[in-house]
Amino acid sequence: MSTAAERAAQLELVARLKSAYPELPDAPTPDMLDHDRITAYLKPVHDVGGEPDAPMKYENKQYELWEHMTYVICEVLGWRGIWLSEERRRIGNVDVGRAEYLGLPYYGRWLIAVARVLVEKHHIGLSELSERMAEVQARYAGGLEGKTLEAKPKSEGDGSKVKRNRHAEEADGKGDPQCYAGQAGKAKFKVGDPVVVRELPVIFYTRTPEYVRGAKGEIEAVAYESPAAEDETWDRPVKPEWFYVVKFNMAELFYGYTGTAHDVISTEIPERWLQSAK
Amino acid sequence: MSDHDHDHDHERTVAPMVDEITDFEVLEIALRELCIEKGIFTAEEHRLMTEFAEQIGPTPAAHLVAKAWLDPEFKKLALAEPMTASKEVGVDWLHPTGWGTPSDFTAFQILADTPTVHNVIVCALCSCYPRPILGNSPEWYRTPNYRRRLVRWPRQVLAEFGLYLPDEITVHVQDSNQKHRFMVMPLQPEGTEDWSEDQLVEIITRDCLIGVALPKAGVTTNVITDTRPAIHPGNAG
Repeated sequence: MSTAAERAAQLELVARLKSAYPELPDAPTPDMLDHDRITAYLKPVHDVGGEPDAPMKYENKQYELWEHMTYVICEVLGWRGIWLSEERRRIGNVDVGRAEYLGLPYYGRWLIAVARVLVEKHHIGLSELSERMAEVQARYAGGLEGKTLEAKPKSEGDGSKVKRNRHAEEADGKGDPQCYAGQAGKAKFKVGDPVVVRELPVIFYTRTPEYVRGAKGEIEAVAYESPAAEDETWDRPVKPEWFYVVKFNMAELFYGYTGTAHDVISTEIPERWLQSAK
Repeated sequence: MSDHDHDHDHERTVAPMVDEITDFEVLEIALRELCIEKGIFTAEEHRLMTEFAEQIGPTPAAHLVAKAWLDPEFKKLALAEPMTASKEVGVDWLHPTGWGTPSDFTAFQILADTPTVHNVIVCALCSCYPRPILGNSPEWYRTPNYRRRLVRWPRQVLAEFGLYLPDEITVHVQDSNQKHRFMVMPLQPEGTEDWSEDQLVEIITRDCLIGVALPKAGVTTNVITDTRPAIHPGNAG
């Protein structure tokens, strides 16, 4: 049980969590927002490449048991057809919103994504999840005291009626993206072609980074065929398309680039995002 | 100075430490139990994936590079068919599911350094990393800080790892943000010409395979060695 003072303190803590422009009030009226700020608010939060930041101390981290178990549960859910990796990448890296994205540990977001997908897809109810969390908490009331962290399922369920995707069958023995080979038709670009990255409006999700949009690059490799992330992340049945590794000159890409005139960066982009620069 | 020559509240600071279960531990255990009870996956499937995940690490990748240094034919294979070459060091990219590890996909490529090009990898969107052959990524690789800066200020970031590259060398950053997974094959350093595969493996550290360090005779540890301890550690990473 919490005290009134503890509840007030927690509310105060949440109130100090800011993920907005300080010059704007909460829920600004439309006339207060320009296109650039709307774009910034709608930017998928995982897309951090090129944002300024100061040097920090880089460290390793010993894995918590739960971090390792979280990685495992995510992979098992992928293996058993509950989600595609692309669904996981969106739910855990973008749908969480800016405060949780920047505020939680890396695997904390993965774990939130597990809870989210299981609830959204009706595999478990949020009420039973809450009750089970309370039960687990109660098991360890007073601390671990020599007890190990372990799951104690009350039974093993029959999985035959669980709704699953067909990805495991389709990719078995081939791999992903190999399972999409031969489905995209003729590739529009070839190695060496100059291309410009389109500036498509972005809401909700994309894996084409903001830092290359509108920039000119060159096809470095014709990579593979696959559904584009924007469709695959909702597991929509769509025609796969060609992906390309595109190379950019960094001095042209970034205003005020401080390296040499010949440094390059490459990144992978699906065909829909590219147009010929000839 | 006496033991009590200071000003603080003993009731707070000397209270017995309770080793509490953390929020994420509670959530993970609750989710795993419900998944097994509902048949979403079996305890056996979870155990199989756990065992797989516990045995991955950077050793096969180091062997692959050492073999390529020693055998030009193997180097050709490693660059042309990296997943075939991976099998020679005990890594089958289709394991453990028959279609690979879901988060890593099966589009592996090796970036070979040359006397004029240095490669370095990042995933600016998340943390794409060739786990089956290189193990789990280090914490710093996953930070927004590394991801923000490497794609735009690579020479500064590399300098923070102690890697100062002359202007004659082109930096090639590979931002692996979709289904490809990359690792770097550095050049064999001077003074190691007559070394055996096992000797070479010692100096091909994980950091060299990410591209934030270069292998050097006598250097067998990663650049970043400071490690934050876990509250309740597991068996991996």
